Amino acid sequence: MITRRALGLSTLALPFAPRIAHAASGTAILVIDGDPPTLNLGITTDYTAGDVSAKILEGLVWTDRSYTAQPSLATAWTASADGREYRFTLRQGVKWHDGTPFSSADVVFSFSEILTKLHPRASAMLRRVAAEVTAPDAGTVVFKLRDPYAPFLQQLSVFDAPILPKHLYAGTDIAANPFNQKPIGTGPFKFAAWDRGSAITVTRNAEYWAAPKPGLERIVFQIIPQPASRITAMETGDADFAPDFYLPKAGELQLLAAKKLQVRQGVNIPAVYFAMFNTEAGPFTDQRARQAVAMALDRPRMVKQVMNGLATPGFGAFGDGFAWLLDPLSSYAKLYPLDAGKARALLADSGFKNDTKPRLLYDAARPQMVSTANIMRENLRAIGMDIQLVPLERSVLNDRLFAKRDYEIALQSYFSAGDPAIGYHRMYLTDTAHAMQTNPTGYSNKEVDTLLGEAVSEPEQAKRAVIYRKLQQILNVDLPALVLYDEKTTDFASPRLSGVWPGLDPRDQWADVTISP
Amino acid sequence: MKLPDIAKFTGRRVLLAVPMVLGVAVVNFLLIKAAPGDPAQILVGDYPAPPGYLEQIRHDYGLDQPLAIQLLRYLGEVAQGHLGYSFANRQPVATLILERLGPTLLLTVTALTFASLLGIALGILSARRAGSRIDAAVQVVSLAGYSVPEFWLGQMLILVFAVWLGWLPAQGSASLRSGIAPGMLERMSYLLLPALALSLRYLALIARITRAAMIQALSADYVLAARLRGASETRVVLAHALRNAAAPIVTIIGTNAGFVLAGSALIETVFGWPGIGRLLFTSISQRDTPVMLGILLLVSVTVVLANLITDILHQMLDPRVSGG
Amino acid sequence: MRRFTATGTGPAAAALVLAVLFLALLAPFIAGDPFDGGADALLPPLSAGHLLGTDDLGRDIWSQLAYGARVSMLVGVVTAAIGLLIGLAVGATAGFLGGWVDGTLMRIGEFFQTLPRFVLALIAVALFGPGLERVIIVIALLSWPQTARVVRSLFASLRHAAYVDAARVGGMSDFRVVVTEILPNVLAPVIVLGSLDIATAILLEAGLGFFGLGDPDRISWGTMLNGAQQYLRTAWWMAAFPGLAIALTVLGFNLLGDALNHALDPKARRA
Repeated sequence: MITRRALGLSTLALPFAPRIAHAASGTAILVIDGDPPTLNLGITTDYTAGDVSAKILEGLVWTDRSYTAQPSLATAWTASADGREYRFTLRQGVKWHDGTPFSSADVVFSFSEILTKLHPRASAMLRRVAAEVTAPDAGTVVFKLRDPYAPFLQQLSVFDAPILPKHLYAGTDIAANPFNQKPIGTGPFKFAAWDRGSAITVTRNAEYWAAPKPGLERIVFQIIPQPASRITAMETGDADFAPDFYLPKAGELQLLAAKKLQVRQGVNIPAVYFAMFNTEAGPFTDQRARQAVAMALDRPRMVKQVMNGLATPGFGAFGDGFAWLLDPLSSYAKLYPLDAGKARALLADSGFKNDTKPRLLYDAARPQMVSTANIMRENLRAIGMDIQLVPLERSVLNDRLFAKRDYEIALQSYFSAGDPAIGYHRMYLTDTAHAMQTNPTGYSNKEVDTLLGEAVSEPEQAKRAVIYRKLQQILNVDLPALVLYDEKTTDFASPRLSGVWPGLDPRDQWADVTISP
Repeated sequence: MKLPDIAKFTGRRVLLAVPMVLGVAVVNFLLIKAAPGDPAQILVGDYPAPPGYLEQIRHDYGLDQPLAIQLLRYLGEVAQGHLGYSFANRQPVATLILERLGPTLLLTVTALTFASLLGIALGILSARRAGSRIDAAVQVVSLAGYSVPEFWLGQMLILVFAVWLGWLPAQGSASLRSGIAPGMLERMSYLLLPALALSLRYLALIARITRAAMIQALSADYVLAARLRGASETRVVLAHALRNAAAPIVTIIGTNAGFVLAGSALIETVFGWPGIGRLLFTSISQRDTPVMLGILLLVSVTVVLANLITDILHQMLDPRVSGG
Repeated sequence: MRRFTATGTGPAAAALVLAVLFLALLAPFIAGDPFDGGADALLPPLSAGHLLGTDDLGRDIWSQLAYGARVSMLVGVVTAAIGLLIGLAVGATAGFLGGWVDGTLMRIGEFFQTLPRFVLALIAVALFGPGLERVIIVIALLSWPQTARVVRSLFASLRHAAYVDAARVGGMSDFRVVVTEILPNVLAPVIVLGSLDIATAILLEAGLGFFGLGDPDRISWGTMLNGAQQYLRTAWWMAAFPGLAIALTVLGFNLLGDALNHALDPKARRA
């Protein structure tokens, strides 16, 4: 029913005035790009799923901006000297959203029945270190690893190791459990509603263990399908928060120029964009051909035009996201300065004949890949190599690239997930199983494999740095993969929000956030 | 036309429609099965999954059964109104589509209604003044409207009215903060640009057909007779000529009603409108097979239905044309 | 011919179509390399050396427009030609032979017409991959029923015409009858349909390109619009010019079809 007053207010909202915020106090509106496949973080690494469920679920720890683990469901922990045993003291008095008390049984169940079997990222790690989880009592959990694993604590955050309620999942088909769509967690917010195609809502958990937190009454995750529209929503104040993941780089520049929002730049979990070469068949079996490409590609231009300046040109085999492992002496800048003439000569040396076009595979749905591919085509044409662009839909790309290895060059981006051992090693480790999202280059170097293994288990960072420097010296010359640029993320928040970004991941730790009316 | 005749005609048409729909369902199914790629991989996301997990997904959705069995299963379920289960959204496809149906209907019905009303009016105007400059202008404008790609028109409208002038919103169907029930005027402000962009093509088409049909109708004998009898010009035009010109006009509106559902896909993408067209696009990029099939089926059934109703209406309006 | 030039629109349409045709043919001579980018990204129109500006990778918009014309003309003409040929063959067969052949072929045509063209093309290209040949085949396969219907009704009415009977009586084979007597009379409406089909094909290809399903090795007006989405606010010229080009080209073909209709069809006498 349209009362006269409602009509009056509505006309105020139209057409020349900006939209009035009708929001209830204490509601923050967060931007997401679509419906996540599930809200159970134990079985997916989907970004949007993580965004929503990180407010509902919790892990044993959370990672702060200096990569240090902070207490969450665990209040204290000790690690044995050899790195093979971790003992966690669990928080007391925590309740699940349905009132059931939380205990170590939930932790044991989550790890042994869900994460080890079903988590896309953590399961590989958990199986490799053959982790054994036990609960000597209701408030303690012990992990026994066969091999030490340096970033173990980093992988215990809610994104890699969420704790799920045993009483709701035990004995059920985990993947089909209805609570995957309406999760019960221990976190500051409870699941309230999922209006598909439109919005997901979570409300304040009044019984949160860190009461009186959280500071917000409600969080609405608004689906905005069009990237440009998300920029508009942030600019007009229609939305309050958007992490870099959902924003097109060109739009980010626009938001930065408008200077109306809080910005966090450059603090991120590193991710690299890279080109990989098929070293088993085709023109890139010869190392010189790969190096020629490295010398021909204009990485600074890619940073400028593809990423709108919001990235850094490729530094070396592991990018420049982890400052402690960098080796300037063997960097790309040193070895492969931009030089079309030299590149041409090197290419000729490798015996390359421009009779069949090498195919460049990439994900058609990602605009950065499309633009990067176009620049590559131009750069390589300048050194006498005509490549064929092959944009593919993601599952087709995965099949052609990883399963069949039917390519010459391919573009990919890998997320480090907080440590090079978690996300970057898979680029260089020998992979004969043709597994997805690993190393389809066919590159297999025993020395590299050994060094990578050492880097995973060595607990001291200084010693790890030495190992990584050695690795870069080898990999930057062998070049099975050529890192193009490191993404520099820019997250935005409305000036009305305070307490945002306590953690490394912008989706994490929202209990502290408040919004001014 | 007598009722039993209409019933017989309708019955015959409906019988013809059923194998059409069936054929569409089979074609949809075969098409998508023939394409490359692995739908099970999509659900897992970006990281390497443990080997057993993919098999589990495949089994859950019957992807490991032989083709003929999958087809029969699909047809059987469709007959019961189950359009399958969406991979990516973990919801029945039918529910998913029903949720998005509302916004799309709002957009398309608004656009079609506007296009029909204005189109008929312009067509009549043009026919009355056939050969004049107004007529020529309307003709060229309607041809232009028919030629402009509607998604580009949408982009330009956004540019002018939302970005440069700031008068109207650029995306979505309601402001994010409106909560449960945005005011009617606010709803309309969001609806205006997409509906306008969508309606132009049909407006042009309807105007052209109306003009042609009206010219023909206005030169008929009975119109002359009505004029001689002293009927007012308005009455002549509306009561006599229009009624006899109605058949082809209704046909063109009807046949396009079916396709406008599909045509809204582009507009919904440009404007971020949360409807079926948008769902189609995301389901394609997600390789969400059941949703793709469901939407194709829905659109095709709509076209068949629209054609059916149009044929019946046409038959009632113009019994001279033989049916079936 | 006189009827064609009588109204102003006929020659105007022809001029428009010829202009685009020349643009397409002469592209290598009057425009630079469309793929050649560089550091000058996002320059507005009337910048030095770039009349219509540059895109986000520094590529010249004018060059892209010129080469895009090639894709549009190619897709438009080839698609329409294939569709017309199929439609002609099917329609002639159905109209001339009549009976159950006619009924079956028309049912099949009706079925194809029920399939929503754009949605089906979207799904087909998304599933089987982009590429000019695929786009052409998909669109052509969906456009023949319209031509077939027209051709069929013409054949059906003409097959009993006096001069056809005369030719038959005179001993001409059926095939020769079709080719020498009936076909010339069908040519006129088919040409009109051809012009309209070209227009539709160009629009469909643009739509596919806009959805990101165009051929990646070619610049087309549709793919230009796809890239322009992100930069709508900051570089309006990336969207304005290709869209205008599409609109004008399609308008040209539609107008041409209309003008040809007036000129060639003795019954279509309008003021």
